[in-house]
Amino acid sequence: MAEWAARLAGVRAVVLDISGVLYDSGGEGGGVPIPGSREAVRKLKASGLKLRFCTNETQATREKFVEKLQRLGFDILVSEVTAPAPAACRILKERNLRPHLLVHDGLVPEFDQLDKGNPNCVVLGEAADNFSYQNLNEAFRVLIGLENPILLSLGRGRYYKETDGLKLDVGVYMKALEYACDIQAEVVGKPSKMFFQSALAEMGVEPQQAIMIGDDIVNDVGGAQQCGMRALQVRTGKYRPCDEQHPEVTPDGYVNNLAEAVDIILKQLDK
Amino acid sequence: MGHDSRKEKQAPEGATHKAVEDPTLGGRGCSVLAPPLFRRGLTGARMAARRVLKAVLVDLSGTLHIEDSAVPGAQEALKRLRGAPVTIRFVTNTTKECKRDLLGRLQKLGFDIAEDEIFTSLTAARSLLEQKQVRPLLLVDDNALHDFKGIATNDPNAVVVGLAPEHFNYQMMTQAFRLILDGAPLIAIHKARYYKRKDGLALGPGPFVTGLEYATDSKATVVGKPERTFFLEALRGTGCTPEETVMIGDDCRDDVGGAQNAGMLGILVKTGKYRPEDESKISPRPYLTYEALSKEKQVSGNHRFKGSSEMC
Repeated sequence: MAEWAARLAGVRAVVLDISGVLYDSGGEGGGVPIPGSREAVRKLKASGLKLRFCTNETQATREKFVEKLQRLGFDILVSEVTAPAPAACRILKERNLRPHLLVHDGLVPEFDQLDKGNPNCVVLGEAADNFSYQNLNEAFRVLIGLENPILLSLGRGRYYKETDGLKLDVGVYMKALEYACDIQAEVVGKPSKMFFQSALAEMGVEPQQAIMIGDDIVNDVGGAQQCGMRALQVRTGKYRPCDEQHPEVTPDGYVNNLAEAVDIILKQLDK
Repeated sequence: MGHDSRKEKQAPEGATHKAVEDPTLGGRGCSVLAPPLFRRGLTGARMAARRVLKAVLVDLSGTLHIEDSAVPGAQEALKRLRGAPVTIRFVTNTTKECKRDLLGRLQKLGFDIAEDEIFTSLTAARSLLEQKQVRPLLLVDDNALHDFKGIATNDPNAVVVGLAPEHFNYQMMTQAFRLILDGAPLIAIHKARYYKRKDGLALGPGPFVTGLEYATDSKATVVGKPERTFFLEALRGTGCTPEETVMIGDDCRDDVGGAQNAGMLGILVKTGKYRPEDESKISPRPYLTYEALSKEKQVSGNHRFKGSSEMC
């Protein structure tokens, strides 16, 4: 039995990353479920454990994203998903910020309610093909023209996996703008502590009662551990064998995929 | 700074020592350096720290010319420098212009320069590619491609990033990223944050290089100024050492600081991008500061030369 399984006492909630854990995005139909993951989600829901999905997905609104996952056969509801865009909207409203958006076309409706004239900050999301030189330059000019440049980045991931290979994530362009303007971005989404805390609050559990399962060694595993949670890394999605020698982050355990993780967790908690 | 006692004995001018050992250097030092450098030729002449001067590196933009105009008096100053027994190299950070274009522009402005005297950040990238024997994905301006002629680019296993807005799209960046993740070295022509365009500020290569570094958890090899290797490579084939070389430029950090880091002496000219107090941006400060490339006679107090007296 896996060593980590012996240390599951007190776990009452599971937090799941979505992309690379439930499914691999990209291609026709928007992605392919990872074998066994649909069944694993169903088992978790039936187990009585609290469950929350915590994603940095920002290519579509939360509603569209959840619709896609439902189409792919997942038992998932909008209200179960913690995502960066709604969190960013709350921050923008609280601080009276008018964003210049550099995000995926599909995410724009999340910001419909906000005043975007005469922008006084930039919101950066995983924009894929919208990460053109010109668009990045426009964002740069907004920032460099502000007395107090504010850059909100929806995540800080390096890359993610689509069906046709690894793709550059928002963190790369966040770093580019940080360097160009000599500023520090504020990250909304994983690995920010606040983001994990809001997911925990939704479930009403303490960090030590929750376990995170993700494919991103830094943003999922490292972020959750920083927050006081336990965390497993799956060997699916963007996982690379060299992650297991990561200089800063060591997961509580490795599993081959979500199905294996869920089976071990449920078996252990049954005892 | 290695002292060479043999050379010391041949030195004709005791005054050199005095100025060099004077901690207040600054303007006074000019009167020492200027005569051997620009007036007399350099046989047996010595420089600071009892050095023999054999090579002079001259920056282009801001020092010899500003866009399509020569810095006043610079042609004459170059002519005088040609009268000295020194090797001259013109060194510049360029990501857009190949040597041939640079040469054309400079010749049009009346500068007496040969193509093989020009050493640019593109040349440096090329020589690094040749040393590593790799095939680059070239994210450089089309005009710069000329400087990479003859380098195989099929099935790339290296990435070179210059200033190429037209290539900095998501697809190309992703391709570069995947190559680097597979072990391809990332070579940056330079890491400028932004530059000025007619329509305003625009992102330079630096942000894109930084992004790729972050994505792949790697460090780019930067080949342009102010990197030490740039200055050392510029001397390749000249038979001169950094200690025998002086660098003249308008960028205190990239020209003067970089050269001094590489063991050369640096002279800052107050033309081009120079801003007051730039001298204090680096430590040690520039060995000398000139009003302009042509102004050495002013600080030396010698008015023997014609041609640029109106500039004094």
